[in-house]
Amino acid sequence: MTKEMHHHEKTMFPPDGTGLKPYEWMIKATPQQQWIDSKGVYLWLAFFFSEIGAGLYFISLFYSYRPGLVLGWLITLVLGGVIHVLYLGNPFNAWRMIMKPQTSELSRGIWVIFVFAALGFLQIITSGGFNVVFNVIMGILCLLIISHGFATMNVIRAIPAWSSTMVLPLSVISGVWVGSQLLQFMFAVSGAAALAASLEVWAEVLLLIYIGCVLLYLWGTYHANEVARESIENFFKGDMQKIFLGGVVGLGCVLPLLLSFIMWGGDTNGFLIFIRLVSVFAGDLALRYVIMKRAYYTPLI
Amino acid sequence: MPRWGMVIDVKRCIGCWGCTIACKEEHFLSPGVFFNRLLIGEKGKFPSSRKLIYPILCNHCGEAACVEACPTGATFVREDGIVAIDPDKCVGCRACLISCPYQQRTYYDKSVKEREYFPGQGKTELELIGEKLYPFKEGTVIKCNFCSERIEDGLKKGLTPGVDEDATPACVTICPVEARVFGDLDDSNSRINRMIMEFKGKQLRPEFGTEPAVYYID
Repeated sequence: MTKEMHHHEKTMFPPDGTGLKPYEWMIKATPQQQWIDSKGVYLWLAFFFSEIGAGLYFISLFYSYRPGLVLGWLITLVLGGVIHVLYLGNPFNAWRMIMKPQTSELSRGIWVIFVFAALGFLQIITSGGFNVVFNVIMGILCLLIISHGFATMNVIRAIPAWSSTMVLPLSVISGVWVGSQLLQFMFAVSGAAALAASLEVWAEVLLLIYIGCVLLYLWGTYHANEVARESIENFFKGDMQKIFLGGVVGLGCVLPLLLSFIMWGGDTNGFLIFIRLVSVFAGDLALRYVIMKRAYYTPLI
Repeated sequence: MPRWGMVIDVKRCIGCWGCTIACKEEHFLSPGVFFNRLLIGEKGKFPSSRKLIYPILCNHCGEAACVEACPTGATFVREDGIVAIDPDKCVGCRACLISCPYQQRTYYDKSVKEREYFPGQGKTELELIGEKLYPFKEGTVIKCNFCSERIEDGLKKGLTPGVDEDATPACVTICPVEARVFGDLDDSNSRINRMIMEFKGKQLRPEFGTEPAVYYID
């Protein structure tokens, strides 16, 4: 068998049975592949970076901390934006994505990102950028960007695990939570120990809300319908078990909780903040991965 | 202006795959790409189980989820009800593909474009002719178009889609048991409307609110 032939068989009929087989199409819960497999991985990363960048910007507003704004703005637009464009099949047509804000969630998101880019730039370069009105507008834009990725998924009626009412609150809290961890790490490395300690109280609250939202998402989705239940069962028993238990539960919830107990009340430590940041990064990426990877379509018959 | 639709009598379908093959032949589709699929399943448990064969194609929905999701307007509903794609406007975001509850869209990327029917042997003359006749654009989404080129050519010749073979989608023409009927949903006297009313035609998953133009009689 030639190399090409082997590749051909792999792409059409992979051994895991996920390839196109018209005789069994959509008779059982069918996982979506376009937004997570092969080039779809870019979208998973793009959502993550756009949202944590906006989360960092959002939390930095409360501290009027310009370096946080700059880094958040750059992560959202440069890192998130570039990865988004890499995902597209025809990136030179990307400008057309502003054409349908009346129906398309994606199009609306692009508008929000443009406004965020322009106003964020103004806020960063102007000395009086931290006035209340500007902060409120930028805060709202940040929350819209944070929720944009999951909002795009949330409107897809055919995938019940994404239609859960907890998807949007989960995305908002995860963006803000991971963003807050980035800011705390920035405080720690810049020698602003007092600011890092003051953020610890917020970190603890955000972590508890984050864990609560994860639990509510799992519970709500599990009880939504049979297809959604299958998605959640796959987290605990199927091929996502290791990523879910190790990544989401272990790195995303348990380890940060332990580290938070150690630093409880503001007794912060730069090294522990760094460990928690890495852990939270991995945990949140794992959460987004399992949610996107095990998104099942409702069977047609 | 007519609104084209299709009725598929599931009880007549014998699962011969004729529609799947005719469609691939008509549009010169690459290996692994199907605009027509047979969805075969079963209901119940032995001895009272029942085999189900549902030929599935793009439903050309009146309230198409793909049209709503498309951020560039590349996917649109034509005046005649056919959901079409303008490849020059498509950005390849695949929001339409994700949104389609019937999973009837295919992302046409380099790996799909380069597939050969005889792997490692190069493309055949037929495949090369197909690339000229149907030059799908790389990095865009493709799907069933109700053989709109046949319909348009037929109408120019004064033929009637659904009645004259040359003006009717290939999957309808090929069906040996006449399980598929094509016609105008806005014409209350058309054959498909009479069938929908008489045999209580059903749409697939109407709860998604997509208003499919393909009806099933089971």
